Formats: sequence, C-alpha cells, structure tokens
Amino acid sequence: MSRSLSRRSLLGLLGGAAGWLMARPTAQAAKAVVKNALVRTGAPPDYDPFQHKWLMCFDIDRCIGCGLCVDACKNENHVPEASTYFRTWIERYIIKKPKPGSGQARGEVIVDSPNGGRDGFPPSLVPREEILKSFFVPKLCNLCEHSPCVQVCPVGATFDTPDGAVLVDPHYCIGCGFCIQACPYGCRFLNPVTHTAEKCTLCYHRISRGLKPACVEICPTQARIFGDLKHPVENDPVQEFIRKNKVQTLKPHLGTDPRVCYANMDKEVR
Amino acid sequence: MRRFRMPPQVVRLVLLTLGIVASYGAMRMVLKPDSFGEYGHYRGAALGEALQHDPVFAGAKACTECHEEVFTQRDQHEHRRISCETCHGPARDHARNPDVKLAGFPPLGCLRCHSQDAGRPATQKQVDLKDHFEGKCLDCHLPHNPKESPP
Repeated sequence: MSRSLSRRSLLGLLGGAAGWLMARPTAQAAKAVVKNALVRTGAPPDYDPFQHKWLMCFDIDRCIGCGLCVDACKNENHVPEASTYFRTWIERYIIKKPKPGSGQARGEVIVDSPNGGRDGFPPSLVPREEILKSFFVPKLCNLCEHSPCVQVCPVGATFDTPDGAVLVDPHYCIGCGFCIQACPYGCRFLNPVTHTAEKCTLCYHRISRGLKPACVEICPTQARIFGDLKHPVENDPVQEFIRKNKVQTLKPHLGTDPRVCYANMDKEVR
Repeated sequence: MRRFRMPPQVVRLVLLTLGIVASYGAMRMVLKPDSFGEYGHYRGAALGEALQHDPVFAGAKACTECHEEVFTQRDQHEHRRISCETCHGPARDHARNPDVKLAGFPPLGCLRCHSQDAGRPATQKQVDLKDHFEGKCLDCHLPHNPKESPP
C-alpha cells in the first residue's frame, strides 16, 4: 500500500520537476526580452533612488487658482480626460461671514472644484460682501510615511520608493480598488482604460531626469515648492520654505504621517 | 523486537506536504519576477519602468538654449519667475524640432491668472474687465514686460 502510494507521488514529483525544468528557460528568455526592451528606451540608467529624497510643499497664500498645474499634470501624465480623474487638483474654499448675532467666528464653509480647477475657477456664486475669506488649496498625493494605500495592497503593486514617491506598478496591479478606498485624501483613481490604480508619481520620469514635476514647472506663483532633501542646493526652496513658514499636514490625526507640508493652512481644510 | 514501521497515513501525509512545498517552491521560482523584493515587497523593476515615460514639458532650461534674449528681457520684470511653458504650452516637441509650433496661450489667456476672485491673494494683480478695458490685453501689455506697452 505504502509502496504503491510513494511511487505515485514520486512520479508526480518527477513530472513536476520536469515541467519546471522545461518552463524555466522559456520564462527566463521572456524576462530577458523585457529587460532589453527597457534598457533600449532612453531612460536615465544612472539614476539611483537611494541618493534622493523628494518632497513637495504648498504655500496656500500663493496659490491663485489658475488651474494650470491641473492641466499640465493631465498633459504630462496622460491622465484620462473625464472630470473625475485627477492626480492633482485644486479646491476653492469659501468661508462665509457668520450670521449677525450668531456668536460664531465664521459662517458656512463652501468647497468647490469644478473640473478639478483645470479650466480655472468661474466667479463664485457667493457675493463678495458675504465672504469672510476665501483661498485655494492644491491637493495631490500626500506621500505618507505610513501609507494606508501601501498597507492594503494585496499583491505588492503599490509601494514607497526609497526616494520618497509612492508608485503603482501597473503590471502587478489587479485593479481591486482597495487602495482607492484606503487613501484618506482621495488621491487615487482607477484608470478606465487600463483598469489599474493610478496616482501622482511626483512625475517620477521627470525628477529622475533632473526636471521639476510638471505642476511645479508650470506654477506661475511658486505655490508649489519642490526639492531634494538629500541634496539641498544653495537657498534650497524646500529648506527655505520650512524655515520661514509654520507648516502643517493634512489630517494629522489619522497617523498616516504625510510628508507633504502646507503653509498658511486654515483649520477648515480637510 | 518488532521493527518500527512508519504508519502509511503518516507517510502519505509527509509526501503530500513535501509535494505541496516543492510545487510551491517551483512555481515561485518560475512566476516570481526577478526584481521582486529587491527594495521591498514589490517589483524593483517597476521603478525603472516608471522612468521610461517621456516628458511632455521640456523645462525652462531647454528654452534657454535658443531663446536666451527673451530670458534676459523677462528676467527684469514682473513675470520673471514664470516658466515659459506656463503660457506657451508644452514644449518638448518644439525643443526637438523647432518647426513644430507651440500650443500657445491657455484658454482665457491673461485672465486665467488676473481675473478677480476673492480667493486670490491681494498681492496678485487682478482686474475686473468691466472697469479695466474692453480690448485685448496685448494692446497695452507686453507679456514679457507687462508694464510696458507695445510700440
């Protein structure tokens, strides 16, 4: 009994081993082809992710809500056109004056972001005399130190890179959407064409070539500040920004520890 | 004394376990991408693949190669910190082949940044078109030197 069974499993094992031996060279050949294809497309080969730590900060007082960054991001990263897909977007906060005699310091808060601010903002429907204050808040991936999106990914398709970006591996993503639900900042979406999760990559293809991210390049008022923490240049914009401003992060109570800093942020901003 | 014989069900169980472990190992060797785990619990090659994408915006440095004189003019005036591509549009194709024309001004032109909005900081120059001027902005303003009028 035991002899016949052990023969069967032995045969099974042998068959498995033979199959594996036959499949392995094919798999390796396929991998080599992909690798060669990657080397041929002029990406910077000498870019070392361990030598950099990128960071983006925002000065809310400088943002004028022109929306050119949103448009630039869509152009640069071929983000789907529809008005529900953004890697970065701008929100307009309007805080109304409190009702007289209400004893409140501020009134109703209205937030709008027509088409993510891509076409600029139409004049607000709230008359100017009713506005206590108003400001624009640019949003993108908050580059969390403890990213909930990375923690929930069941296949290891999204990850923190050593240089500070949070990327999605489109070849590994199964499009389950867990990360989209997990992100407390709403920074991810499911690409309707590829059915994989997408998000701000800090323009990884640009920063590795020594360029600024498209939104930073395009911002006419330097409301977006971008730099390398490991290689600060002279008068480094990020160091200068953090030295001169009182900065804070979005939703600090969630423990995600975002690295993206905002200066001059109101408590109403979520 | 009788020799101890491993009970057949235990042998079966051990073989089955070994078979499962071996097939898992074999499958993992074939299916696991080479670079998985290189930096962490992800495919290390994905970093390299994220670099492949070709930039659309060329960056201001590319513009200086041919348009140095525009920079020297712009650098003395209010718009000195604005990148070329903010107003002129993505320039990669133009930088590679100067015959390719740029997309040009964003829709709404100057008003994209200079229309009135309560959300804009007071330092930003804003105009209400009704009170300002009805003609074209460029009738009175040179974009690279907005306080000057065209000759």
